[in-house]
Amino acid sequence: MRVVATGVATDGDLIVRIADGDRNAFEELYRRYARPVLGLALRRIGDRGRAEDAVQDAFAAVWRSARSYKPERGAGAPWLYTVARNAIVDGLRRTPEPAAEAPDTASPEGGPPERAEASWLAWRVHRALEELPEHERPVIELAYYGGLSQSEIADFLSLPLGTVKTRTRAALARLADELDEELR
Amino acid sequence: MSERSGPDFDELIGTEVEGEERERLLRVHELLIAAGPPPELPPALEPVEEIAPVVPLRPRPSRRRLAVAAVLAAALAVMAFGLGFFVGDRGDAQAVQPERVIEMTGQDARASLAILPVDEAGNWPMRMTVQGLPRLANGEEYELWLSRRGKPIKPCGTFVVTDEGRTVVALNAPYKLKNFDGWVVTRRGSEEALLETV
Repeated sequence: MRVVATGVATDGDLIVRIADGDRNAFEELYRRYARPVLGLALRRIGDRGRAEDAVQDAFAAVWRSARSYKPERGAGAPWLYTVARNAIVDGLRRTPEPAAEAPDTASPEGGPPERAEASWLAWRVHRALEELPEHERPVIELAYYGGLSQSEIADFLSLPLGTVKTRTRAALARLADELDEELR
Repeated sequence: MSERSGPDFDELIGTEVEGEERERLLRVHELLIAAGPPPELPPALEPVEEIAPVVPLRPRPSRRRLAVAAVLAAALAVMAFGLGFFVGDRGDAQAVQPERVIEMTGQDARASLAILPVDEAGNWPMRMTVQGLPRLANGEEYELWLSRRGKPIKPCGTFVVTDEGRTVVALNAPYKLKNFDGWVVTRRGSEEALLETV
C-alpha cells in the first residue's frame, strides 16, 4: 500500500513553479534534496569541499533548466537526479583532480551500472528519510547510523523502550511506503 | 551497494510483525544499511529563514564559489554561502559502527557522541546527537571541545540546533584522544561548559 500525501506539492509541482521563477518552490525543493544531492556528490567526487561546491552547481543547474522539465514525461525526482548528476560530472570535467576520481582498481560496488543503481537507491533512501516526522527520524538515525541499541536510544531520548520500538516500526513502515517502487 | 553493518533487524522489529509486512520492512532495513547515512549539511549549505549579516568564520576564498553564488543570488535566499567551516565528515566512514559512545549531560540538555574508528591520518570522525540545548540567535553556534579537567582545550567543530533543541551532526577530532580526559560543549566564544562528559 502506498500512502499518498494530499495537499503537499510534489517534486514535479515544485519544479514547474521554479520554471516560473517561484523562489519559495526553490527553497522547498532545496530543503528536500540538499542532503541527497550532497550525498550524490560525495559518492561521485569523494572530496568534501568539492562536493559542497558541486551542490551549489547542481541547484544552480536546477534553477536554470527547470523549464526543460516536462511533467508528462515522469516524476520530478528522476529529472532532478539527472540534472544534479550531470552538474556534478560537468564540475569534475572543469576541474579534474585525478586523485579524487574513481580508482582504476575493481570496486566492491561493481561496475558503472551497479554504481549508478546504488547512487539512485541512496538518493531515494536519503530523500525518504527527509520526509520522516521529527519524532521518528531520530530513532532511525540513531539505530542505523549512530550505532545505538534500542535500549540506548530509549535512554538517550528519555523514552520508554516500547515507544522507541513503536516509533522504529512506524518509521520503517513509512519508509516502505515512500520507497514502494524500490521495494518491488 | 557495498556491504555495511547495521542494527539487528529482529531487535528492531521483534516477532509481532510477520509474513509479507516483515519482508517489506526487512527490505527497507537493507536499503537503509546499504545507502549509508545522508551527509550532514555544513553550515554554508544549511537552509536559513532569511539572510542575516554574519561574519565569516573561516571563509574559503574561491572565485568559482563566489561566481556560483552570484548566479544564484536572486534565487537562493535560503542558502548562506561561506558562513563557516565544516570539520570533516568523511563519506566513506559514515556507515561504520562507532568504537565507543560518549554520553554528555548539562542543565536540561544531553548529548551522545558516537566516535568512529580513527583514519590513517589521525582523524576521529564523530556523530553527535544533541537534545535540549536552546536555539541560538543567527550567527551564534555551539562548539564541541576536547577537555582536560573540564577546561576546553582543542576544538572539534561547531553546530547549531533546531527550535526543539535537537540536532544530529558530524564532527571531527584530529587529535590524540589519550591527551584529554573529557569533552565539553560551550557557546562559541565562551569557556563555560554547557554539556560535559558523564
